[in-house]
Amino acid sequence: MEDLVRHAVESASAKGVDYAEARLHIDSGSAFTLTNGIPEPVQLARERGIAVRILVDGAMGFATTNDLSKSSLESTVEIAYRSAKASRKLIAKPIRLSEQKAEQANWEAKARKPLPDVTTEEKFRVLEEIEKNLQPEIVKVAVPSRTLILGDDITERYFANTEGARIHGKVARVNLLYVLTVYDPGKGTIQRIGQHGQSGGWEQLEQWDPPRLVSDEAEILGKMLTEGKQAPRKELDLVVGSEVTGIVCHESCGHPQEADRILGREAAQAGESYLKPDMIGYRVGTEAVTVADDPTIPNSNGFYLYDEEGVKAERRILIKEGVINGFLQNRETGAELGVSSNGAARAVAYDREPMIRMANTFMLPGSYTHEELVEDAKEGVFIKTFMEWNIDDRRYNQRYVGLEAYMIENGEVTTPVRNPILEITTPGLYGSVDAVGKEVEFEAATCGKGEPSQGAPVWHGGPSIRLRKVRLGG
Amino acid sequence: MNPEQVVEEAVKFGLKLGADEVTASMTRERRKMLRFSNNSIIVMQSWDHTVPAVYLTSKRKRAAARVGDPNLDALMDVMKTLKATMDISKPGEVESKLPKGPFKYEAVPHNYDSKIPEMTGELTGIAEEAINSALSEGAKRSSGTLVTNEWERYVKTSTGSEGKDRGTSIELSTRAFFDDDASGMGVSCATRLGDFDPTRAAREAAKIACQAKNPVFGDEGKFAVVFGPSIMAEFLSRVADFASAYYVDVGLSFLKDKVDQKVASEKFTLADGARMPTGINSCSFDDEGYPTRNTKIIDHGVLKTYLHSSYSVAKYGGELTGNSFFAGGTWGLTPIPLNVVVEPGELRFDELVEEVKNGLYLTNNWYTRFQNYQTGDFSSICRDGAFRIENGRIGQPLKGLRISDNMPRILQSITSLSRERQWIKWWEVETPTYLPHIAVEGVGITRATK
Repeated sequence: MEDLVRHAVESASAKGVDYAEARLHIDSGSAFTLTNGIPEPVQLARERGIAVRILVDGAMGFATTNDLSKSSLESTVEIAYRSAKASRKLIAKPIRLSEQKAEQANWEAKARKPLPDVTTEEKFRVLEEIEKNLQPEIVKVAVPSRTLILGDDITERYFANTEGARIHGKVARVNLLYVLTVYDPGKGTIQRIGQHGQSGGWEQLEQWDPPRLVSDEAEILGKMLTEGKQAPRKELDLVVGSEVTGIVCHESCGHPQEADRILGREAAQAGESYLKPDMIGYRVGTEAVTVADDPTIPNSNGFYLYDEEGVKAERRILIKEGVINGFLQNRETGAELGVSSNGAARAVAYDREPMIRMANTFMLPGSYTHEELVEDAKEGVFIKTFMEWNIDDRRYNQRYVGLEAYMIENGEVTTPVRNPILEITTPGLYGSVDAVGKEVEFEAATCGKGEPSQGAPVWHGGPSIRLRKVRLGG
Repeated sequence: MNPEQVVEEAVKFGLKLGADEVTASMTRERRKMLRFSNNSIIVMQSWDHTVPAVYLTSKRKRAAARVGDPNLDALMDVMKTLKATMDISKPGEVESKLPKGPFKYEAVPHNYDSKIPEMTGELTGIAEEAINSALSEGAKRSSGTLVTNEWERYVKTSTGSEGKDRGTSIELSTRAFFDDDASGMGVSCATRLGDFDPTRAAREAAKIACQAKNPVFGDEGKFAVVFGPSIMAEFLSRVADFASAYYVDVGLSFLKDKVDQKVASEKFTLADGARMPTGINSCSFDDEGYPTRNTKIIDHGVLKTYLHSSYSVAKYGGELTGNSFFAGGTWGLTPIPLNVVVEPGELRFDELVEEVKNGLYLTNNWYTRFQNYQTGDFSSICRDGAFRIENGRIGQPLKGLRISDNMPRILQSITSLSRERQWIKWWEVETPTYLPHIAVEGVGITRATK
């Protein structure tokens, strides 16, 4: 496979290009599903193909094929070359790439129990155990609709470019997705879509204890449905759990600090950013707020050690003590903004261009216990999990609707409340954080961006945090 | 080996492995995409993919695979694993049978234009025309995506169906900016070059952007709203998805148990236009080899049917609708809408605005998320031009608005539809949708407060 990648780069180089890279993926995956206890079709996917990206006179061409014959490969190189040349006429500012070290590396996400060694029987056994634990006598409520999906995938990638970079990487991931609808005759329904995912082997899934995890979720949903009171609609203190902290960091810190958005590249699709290139140093939050994105966390869902432009991955501090500290960069935005890439270029498949993506985005811990966060709030709400959320395409105006949530009265978590709504601006949110917990947790998610769309595996997380005097409403 | 031979051999091999029934499909797509932003091309991309897929049944067991490798050996290798996995899995709830062929397939007229696959340099010219049209209307910058596609699809089943089909499309979605707070979007999509109008799309985007300059924050409350085709396409393509028996089955649809019930205003009729001559996704047969048809999903407010596969018909009853494809979030055969079509009303757009008198005109949205798919509670962010309607005319531009409402309530509260329709397909609306402007009363609007 390395030969094919090298051949593609050499073919491109012979055409006199400014830069060329080739990336070959070999991907496989499977999914096993139980819907209301009934097995859905077993699903397998196998895919391999190659992408070629070529820069000619400041214009970028990209072409892919899954026909790995030599003639097809050469034709793909030719198409990428012609595409770049055809674009030259309408280039306002030539595309350049930042100077980077030509890395040579071989890396892998380690697995103690490799996924190919896990039998189909074992995968179904896990699903059946979850299903058994969702019966009404165990979770104390009816769960009439249950979809449980156990998926795994392995991606192996070979990368080479005209600057001499040669990288081979391999990541296996396992994930569990569940859709639960809990019903009560007098109260109606409540729903949860939950996701857990990590890189590594089967040992990651085992440590989640999936039957307990999902049945706990169902039981809590039942409690929210049957005991939840109407959420307050007024200004008060708010404590949010790590799941909510994580989505906040992802949506209103990670996305607006993607340099391609800031420069307008994604304007017609995922949108732009409230930040401008010269806003490094802008205060967006209190000193309690520091947010990082780090692809190198072992066994994380967004794990990688080299990105899809061959750049070594590193931890990026996006907000430091409330101040915008840096952006997520690839080689193109790095060159335009006069900095190096910080290794944020990802492509989810061989047929997708590398683009700036988050990996594992989280708020760094503070010094408070969860009890300390709560006890200093006289009247407030604690939102532990959420279901509905969204944010505008400049990443400024956002909304999170609580799923598992409780009143805080006289410094104690008390009665469940239904669907508390936080609708707030980005500086309004980060500027209200007065205390940050010390226990960091992560949630798996699939982040959407790009055209054609690329759903990238990520983690987001952080500790519980407290926001002072925010209005709940909606 | 040519695609007909691959699907034929795959079906034979599936039966040899011991499957009761087999369907195999093979799709080749040759796609080009030119993306531009800030009045400049950022990348031109090209794909040439051939993807076989197979579906096997054995009594009440089912299994499916998609193989991104055009070689028969690779497909057969996966099929062996698939059958072995199926053998040790537990049986499903019902035994479903693939439709018995052969069927006579009628080609959808006007869905292929031989000039489209040949375009490469011409794409730059079209992008330039779109950018210049937006700038000449007063926009300061223009971004967008121009896509051409040519596809060929082959399907063979062990139950006697066999067919081949092909189509082309060309699409432009473009967003124009007057400044950061004032933007607009325009779309043109067609199966033939003659129906493609990038200049109109670019001018429309720029016109909205210029009209939207100097917006003020809108108010919270309940408003009569005229929804533009782009925003309603995003909502209604989801409604068509919710009519898929798959979404009903997994509990992610507010249309569950609603067949033959009134689910929308009687002024509202929604169909899957799988055979619309100008529909980008129109085709002659589904991946079970069953002929496609135009299917009324909601007829004058009444839910008439779900979109079906052979499995969902076996489970829920009803008739096959020709919507079963290797597609979507699952790799199995899933019922999906192909082209969403809304029947028009009688008013011109300006008459619709006049009828609403005081309310809002919202042109576009993104990021719709549901709190509960069975109740339909959701919110979605307004994007691009949003305006007050004051005394029957479009007035003050607005910003910072969010639609926070309930989808069944919105469908029931449709008051009028315009008579002009247009196709919408872009990043946020994957299923091509042909629809008018639509007026809805009492729409919930919220905004950030800090």
